[in-house]
Amino acid sequence: MKKLYSLIRACMTNDMSIFRFKTKKNSRLSILLPLFIAGYLMLMIGGLANSLFEKLSPLNLSYLLLSLFAFSISIMTFIEGIYKSGSLIFNCKDDQLLLSLPIKKSTVLFVRIFKFYLFELIFNSLFLLPIMISYIRWDNNLSWTYYLTSFIMLLLLPIIPIVLSCILGFFTSSLSSKFKYKNAAQIIISMAVLVGIFALSFNSEGILEYIINNSSNINELITRIYYPAGTYAKLVSDFNIVDFLIFIIVNIGIFALSVSILAKFYFKINTRLKSVSTTRKKVSIDNITIKSKSQISSLVNKEIITFFKTPVFIVNAGFALVLFLIAAILIALKHDTIMPFLINQLSLLDLKEDVIMNNISIIILYLISFTAYMTSITNSIISLEGRNITILKSLPIHPKRVLMSKIFACLKITTTVLVIGDIILFIVLKTSIIDSILLLVLSVLIPLVSHFIGLIINLKYPNLNWENSAEVVKQSTSSFVSVMIGMVLLMLSSIAIFSIIGKISSTLILIISTIIYILINSILYVYLLRIGIKDYNKLTI
Amino acid sequence: MIEIKEVTKKYGDKVALDNVSFSVNDGDVFAFIGHNGAGKTTLIKSIVGIHDFDCGDILIDGMSIKKNPVECKKLMAFVPDNPETYEHMKAIDYINFICDMYEVDEEVRKNNIKKYSKLFGMEDKLNDTIDSFSHGMKQKLVLISALSHDPKILIMDEPFVGLDPKAVFDIKEILNEMVKEGKIVFYSTHILDVAEKLCSRVAIIKDGKLVKWGSMKEIKGDKSLEKVFMELEENK
Repeated sequence: MKKLYSLIRACMTNDMSIFRFKTKKNSRLSILLPLFIAGYLMLMIGGLANSLFEKLSPLNLSYLLLSLFAFSISIMTFIEGIYKSGSLIFNCKDDQLLLSLPIKKSTVLFVRIFKFYLFELIFNSLFLLPIMISYIRWDNNLSWTYYLTSFIMLLLLPIIPIVLSCILGFFTSSLSSKFKYKNAAQIIISMAVLVGIFALSFNSEGILEYIINNSSNINELITRIYYPAGTYAKLVSDFNIVDFLIFIIVNIGIFALSVSILAKFYFKINTRLKSVSTTRKKVSIDNITIKSKSQISSLVNKEIITFFKTPVFIVNAGFALVLFLIAAILIALKHDTIMPFLINQLSLLDLKEDVIMNNISIIILYLISFTAYMTSITNSIISLEGRNITILKSLPIHPKRVLMSKIFACLKITTTVLVIGDIILFIVLKTSIIDSILLLVLSVLIPLVSHFIGLIINLKYPNLNWENSAEVVKQSTSSFVSVMIGMVLLMLSSIAIFSIIGKISSTLILIISTIIYILINSILYVYLLRIGIKDYNKLTI
Repeated sequence: MIEIKEVTKKYGDKVALDNVSFSVNDGDVFAFIGHNGAGKTTLIKSIVGIHDFDCGDILIDGMSIKKNPVECKKLMAFVPDNPETYEHMKAIDYINFICDMYEVDEEVRKNNIKKYSKLFGMEDKLNDTIDSFSHGMKQKLVLISALSHDPKILIMDEPFVGLDPKAVFDIKEILNEMVKEGKIVFYSTHILDVAEKLCSRVAIIKDGKLVKWGSMKEIKGDKSLEKVFMELEENK
């Protein structure tokens, strides 16, 4: 137990070192921004929960909302977990150190899953805490059991989603470890799992119908869908010590059992993943092509190699792009079923069918914006350099070239996918030539904003001393801040787009958008050159 | 020529380099010696432009690394103590990447890659990805890429760590060759007997302060370099 405690403390101290900021001047700003964003997010969620509780309170049903929120947050944790569980648990840089120590191998696995749990606990708390606090106002019969149940719920809620995503992580890692090109296999399998889960969730009407028909009330319905969420509501409305204890034992039991079962396969998979296949065919130096490139194209090439060789990076950043492409292909192949579905969804925004059909370019613009803001590749691109930052800093290259090469590389990836999707959509949806040209320009400009923001944020919050690439891609301050900024920008642009759609011509909306994005990009470019380069020069390991 | 002028570098309250000044002339093989944590790597990283420093200046052939970093770096090659490379790349792609950064002519890089990869026994490994390499092989790769752009100044941090005896012998040969061409070799080391035989000049650093520097003969006199170093260490 003492060893386990020491190990957890050592690992957490190392991870938390990213929060230690060196200079006093920067420290306040650097800490305040993520705190402000987290605080703002919590206030928004608290406000939303409050307005919903207000409507359900007269019916004495507000406790049900608690379980619905708990369920939604668990789904988010599960989806989040699939992205990173494989990368967080396997191929860690501290493998050599930890595995040579006289500690049980299952302890090492426990610590890695526990670290994963702690980060998810923070993530869950951002959403769940404001909801739990809001609830206090709307329940007149609140007793101490509410606080106890909510506290335990907060602690236990991430367990089942984490265990499920770890099992999927084990599955994808185990399968990919059997291939020669392990990284490529891991990327393809992870993408397939994610797309599969999304497809399943869109085709789950039958299962849901069965559950609804066989449930006597809403709470039973939620319990049947997801046991912890339903139990939470039950304990809040009618506390029962036996149910409470069973709930704790079930969660801790699932965690302990999963760790002990997964530990049996862990080291076999980890060893297989680490074995690197070399090019066995010896190639004479005379037969190797040695070609020179310009500095910038060589740097861009290096970034693209890093992107395609880092599974968590490509799965995280590429998922929205893959979805965009799938959406474009689906619209092309199943135009008659997808379009009524889209029109139906957009009617929720008070948009009539004729308005949608006359402004189809704006719908494409929204799809491009969604994909661009959800594809923040650059928010970990500096951190991923890790110790290799010394290579770049010792080479005779101006920092501007280094930074712009990262932007160009990401732009190359996003633009390629977006343009392919755009062309499919233009043909199927028959957009005008001028709109098509403007949309193509916007397919460059909108991702460019996202890339500039990601890079600027990562320069402010770099973490070069990581043990695992998933830590910087999915669990860093940089990724949190830039994803939140991306979401806010997406929200603002959506509000702007949908408030003027139908009132002015779609071409005019596209022209205005182009001008606005050119302006934003120019400001961000100047900021990168003035402040970003200074941040880059300060980077050290 | 490298001129280090009153360089001071602090990490918070800790003074890593305290008003360090010395110079390295063309044609010198210069050994930089000190105990662990004395400030060797900090100074080396300051010379090659990885670290900024608080006071003073470092001039490379008369140009300030602070004011003209890119021009200064064009003259230098750096071999770190831990061979940092892009592990996902093939060895040849990594060397090409470094050459691209130094804008090395295709013909020159072809000849140099051939020459140094043969010398280090890496010619049939160039098509392999770096993540399959051992520590020593990575060190050799970093050396090949550093030498492939014909640097005027070669700066190395503990270059012999992890290398096999043949590679150590080959490096010594290369260093001698470079010195004959009037180039500078500046390296930090703990292997004092090699430094004693190989280097014309030496500097000893202790707790961030330069305690001795000059020609090897002046510094060691009739004693061995090891003896001189141990005496300085004991005088705390």
